[in-house]
Amino acid sequence: MSDQLATAMADLEESTVLKLVRQRLDAGDSPMAILESCREGMIQVGKRFEACEYFVSELIMAGEIFKQSTALLSSRLKTDAIGSRGKVVIGTVKGDIHDIGKNIVVSLLKAANYDVRDLGVDVPPQKVVDAVKETGATVVGLSGLLTIAFDSMKETVAALAAAGLRPKVKVMIGGGAVSQTVQQYAGADAWGTDAQAAVSLCNQWIKEVAK
Amino acid sequence: MNNEALYQERLARIKKAIHLEPVDRIPVAFLGPAFAPRYMGMPLAQFCEDAEAALKVTLDAVKRLDVDAINSLVIGRFPVTLTLIWLSHIRVPGRELPRDALWQVDEREVMTPEDYDFIVEHGWQAFLNRHLPKVIDPDYLGESLAYMGANAGRGVPLFRENGYVVIATGGVSIPFEAMCGARSMSNFFFDLYRMPDRVQAAMDRALPEIIAGGIGLAKAGGAMGTWVGGWRAASAMVSPKLWNRFVWPYYLKIVEALLAENITPVLHWDQDWTRDLVRLQELPAKKCILNPDGMTDVRKFKELVGDRMAMMGDVPASLFAAGTPDDIYNYVRDLTGVFGSKGLILSSGCDVPVNAKPENVEAFVAAGREFGKVA
Repeated sequence: MSDQLATAMADLEESTVLKLVRQRLDAGDSPMAILESCREGMIQVGKRFEACEYFVSELIMAGEIFKQSTALLSSRLKTDAIGSRGKVVIGTVKGDIHDIGKNIVVSLLKAANYDVRDLGVDVPPQKVVDAVKETGATVVGLSGLLTIAFDSMKETVAALAAAGLRPKVKVMIGGGAVSQTVQQYAGADAWGTDAQAAVSLCNQWIKEVAK
Repeated sequence: MNNEALYQERLARIKKAIHLEPVDRIPVAFLGPAFAPRYMGMPLAQFCEDAEAALKVTLDAVKRLDVDAINSLVIGRFPVTLTLIWLSHIRVPGRELPRDALWQVDEREVMTPEDYDFIVEHGWQAFLNRHLPKVIDPDYLGESLAYMGANAGRGVPLFRENGYVVIATGGVSIPFEAMCGARSMSNFFFDLYRMPDRVQAAMDRALPEIIAGGIGLAKAGGAMGTWVGGWRAASAMVSPKLWNRFVWPYYLKIVEALLAENITPVLHWDQDWTRDLVRLQELPAKKCILNPDGMTDVRKFKELVGDRMAMMGDVPASLFAAGTPDDIYNYVRDLTGVFGSKGLILSSGCDVPVNAKPENVEAFVAAGREFGKVA
């Protein structure tokens, strides 16, 4: 990795990361460059997760350290200058209030430079439709821990179709008991077993759009 | 055959499965605390509030499906049991939710980092006495616990009178799970990084009391086994470094203590434990049951531990809810093919979900009967 901060981020050294962020800010380093170092570390975290060196506990910790780092940088970052990789609307579907898995996905997507509209939990289909219209998001992430979420996922995909948005968005589902069977049942485009899979799917879809 | 003879036949099969002896027919066990009332037409609010009705409707579902056993039986108000497992507020149908909605764990940070120190100083029960009123009405809890205490032993004989085996009553888990629920998952995982020594000190202090409580509950219920639960502590959730320190040593101690009391540990493990299946070789052979939820690789389990431990499972909840009878049939055929006549109690992965299609659950039992004839 290119610098000490990225290495500390990848190694989940919380106090070192925050110290280095402050030091570089005080030294007049560009906030964007500091953010990029943090992101480089997060990419390593994702790779280590995929290599089964890191697990959910490490993804959660990495997300927390990244969040604290960006909080230190936020007042000095010009949001319009950042230029996100793409827009994602995400939420835990209607009838389900579990948000831990969804929150991990949100933090990893943000760390990967996606502009994320997080709709929270117990989200009715229409709210997803409205958010896609407002943001122009090309990816929708639907989360749910309980099996009762399957029908809500299906209803949400149907609502996107009814609004004429389905050809414009890719839908990924995840959480708890979600599987290939559920993907087919809900009419989603993909499903993931973990939060890192959501980032990989977005990266893949954004590349496809760019072609 | 009368019910007692049927019970004895079913019990003998289950014991043979646990001891990895060949069976003539693979036993089929049901678990579906929310599906049972839905299947029998009872609103979930009534199931949650009326413990007598809940017991009856569970037995009625087992009779209608005509399985051999129930995986685990809860006596008392189900959401109260969930509160005691998760140490979290539970949203209950008929109270915070519509009358026929599924209960949900409303997980949030209630326990604080200072509570680790409180546990070290005052013990686990003292912590519970302080914590539980924050997540459940104390009078309601007291009334519910009184019922559970007075009636815990009724389930096993009631099912036996009707010819069915109860495999597990009560339940216990490692301190990791209770603390994770009470702190909420993200905060707890931060703690494992930020204050590992404080967390471990609290776990070490809590464990003997947790074990004593688990043994007491299992004995009060009177089944052959008890659940040793795990979900957030799964291999897919926690890195080996954390797992080896905060998870596995505590399971070893719980299993050892239960076996010393002649109670069969049913490792009710949700999520994916594949990475650490090999560690099950450290447990005494032919004494425990792994009860995974469909995410753990049971073929790997069979390969690594199949000569030491039985498996109860693991038709996935998603298949019951979103699959077809053919999907269920195929899954059961493949599963029974992996295990053959030894070491399998066919069951759902975790529980049959509330929105399982009845035809899928009935296909599960029928497939179990068809493919389970192994002698």
